[in-house]
Amino acid sequence: MGKSRIRNNIRTLRFFHNEMTQKELADRVGVTRQTIIAMEQEKYSPSLELAFRIAQVFEVPLEEVFSYQPKDDSS
Amino acid sequence: MSYQEKNITVSLASFTLILGFFLIRVIQMVLGDSFNSTNVFRLWGIVIVLAIVLTILGTILTHILSAIIQAIQSGGEEPEIEDLEDERDKLIDLRGTRVAYYFSAFGGFLAMLTFVIGQPALVMFSLLIFFALVAQVVGDISRLVLYRRGF
Repeated sequence: MGKSRIRNNIRTLRFFHNEMTQKELADRVGVTRQTIIAMEQEKYSPSLELAFRIAQVFEVPLEEVFSYQPKDDSS
Repeated sequence: MSYQEKNITVSLASFTLILGFFLIRVIQMVLGDSFNSTNVFRLWGIVIVLAIVLTILGTILTHILSAIIQAIQSGGEEPEIEDLEDERDKLIDLRGTRVAYYFSAFGGFLAMLTFVIGQPALVMFSLLIFFALVAQVVGDISRLVLYRRGF
């Protein structure tokens, strides 16, 4: 439990998209602001569908938003 | 605190109160030598009705209070309450329900066990409702923990 091994750049991407607020992003992808906060804090890994929707909002490929960090690479 | 968390907190408070009421009534019955089927089944009815009524009232009150607090914070503008349930809320709800079912099943087993070892059926029925309430409380606590800690 706790931090997920899925890393994301949502906060950075929001900043580079006219400083989009968490609420705006939440409304555009159809989730609550709390879920965006949890994802940014890496406390929640989204479903594949939500991940694609977020990537679509930022108009970037999925791997530019999310990356997977295997257990061994944590150092 | 999100709307869902507030709702769970209200549910937790309601079921803790009901559990307290149930335990006090059972202890009173045992001490007062009135632990009989009529009183136990009446208590069952009261607990179930209380659970339904408090859950409905709790949900309505949470909604009203959230709207008032939101309106005060936004300076009287149209309050925005995020009462939509997204995939994370559903997942947390499912995990909380699973924990509640584990407790409920364990309680059911223990209740049956008391019957097997020769205790009266009333003990079994009292334990069944007790563990159903405990399961609800534990389920709500696990939901709150999942909201706070993440998964």
